[in-house]
Amino acid sequence: MTAGLEDRCWAALAEIQDPEMPINLVDLGLIYAIRAAAPVVVVDLTFTAMGCPASDFILDDVRERLLAEPDIEEVVINIVWDPPWSSERLSADGRDALEMWGLAV
Amino acid sequence: MAVANQARFDALLARGDLVETTSEMTPAYLKELKHTLTVSGDTELISAPAYYLAARRAPSINAFMTGIAIIQDELAHAHIAYHILEELGEDEEKLIFERDPKAFRYPYAFDVPLESWTELAIANAMYDQAGFCLLGDIHDACSYGPWKRGLVKVMAEENFHLRNGQSWMKKICKAGGEAKEELQRNVDWMFPLTVEWFGLPDSLKMHHTQIEFRLKAKTNDQLRQWWLSVVVPFCESIGVTVPAHREGEEYVLDYPFPCTFDAEEKHWDFNDPCGWDDVLERWRARGPRNREMVADLQESYYKLRKSRGQ
Repeated sequence: MTAGLEDRCWAALAEIQDPEMPINLVDLGLIYAIRAAAPVVVVDLTFTAMGCPASDFILDDVRERLLAEPDIEEVVINIVWDPPWSSERLSADGRDALEMWGLAV
Repeated sequence: MAVANQARFDALLARGDLVETTSEMTPAYLKELKHTLTVSGDTELISAPAYYLAARRAPSINAFMTGIAIIQDELAHAHIAYHILEELGEDEEKLIFERDPKAFRYPYAFDVPLESWTELAIANAMYDQAGFCLLGDIHDACSYGPWKRGLVKVMAEENFHLRNGQSWMKKICKAGGEAKEELQRNVDWMFPLTVEWFGLPDSLKMHHTQIEFRLKAKTNDQLRQWWLSVVVPFCESIGVTVPAHREGEEYVLDYPFPCTFDAEEKHWDFNDPCGWDDVLERWRARGPRNREMVADLQESYYKLRKSRGQ
């Protein structure tokens, strides 16, 4: 059931809005990998900038949302900078959302 | 400039259309619009030095980055308001750098020093919530197109400030002990100061020019109620006491409003009610940090001009 659990975790993180823009963390391309083996989930994620002022909020949201998922009791977050985030990592939906909001991407 | 025919202007407003250029405005509308924009620009601008004093006391590098990012937002929001004023014929440079400190039109609350991270958290949750209500109403109702559109992003960014305030207030409450007591002590002076922010009660306010011109829609009391309906339940939910409670559909204050405030001591005397004339006098005299904050903003501008021999 590991694959199912990981899918659920991806779907859960797609519910979290970025604290500054109307786009979710998955469409923004911040989530690099999820490895789940109940009751532990490991998330590799990045931020759009090293000086991201919302980083603490994003970490709190990821932890809180994943802990709300059945079978998950521990969340380990690795903050990674390689490869660095760029707008290339936006999903097609994410690109649409930001363009509608008025950001050129 | 503002030369519109009165009847045509009245019809435009009555239809609910947007005003886009000065040629569509009457002189009275232009004057009121400029006044409203000046209050907004001055409020955003002065919040930067007001918040900076406290942001320096951030308890972590991340928190410091968040505080600085909020200040950056506020400066950008000020710039939007001043930029529109410039399009309306004012001079942004003169507005910011050549006005007397007492001529700035921001709420009195910012003149009282914010000296700790805890005070900044409360300011983000209470002062920025006041800004959110005031600007949100303008964003919904404003008849001037360029400002209405500029506010879309301002509102989105203000949400970030509210989150910083609320999540830190929550965190401090959870920590308990002296940290929570300090939070409560500061809420005790900052809550009534924000209640006052919305100005004269409707019963005393004679002119509703801004509403007639559809620059905003809600009255002072309606905006104050909106603010109370967010802040009071939030504070109660985290275990912070505030001097207000709900009665039916309305929020009611548990202290005489207005009453006297000692800015140096950051203390309200709930046993000493006063009149609005006294409040207006205190506002006009400005508070402890007015002169210093404006002087800080203007200092380098004058140094540079002096060295250029201007």
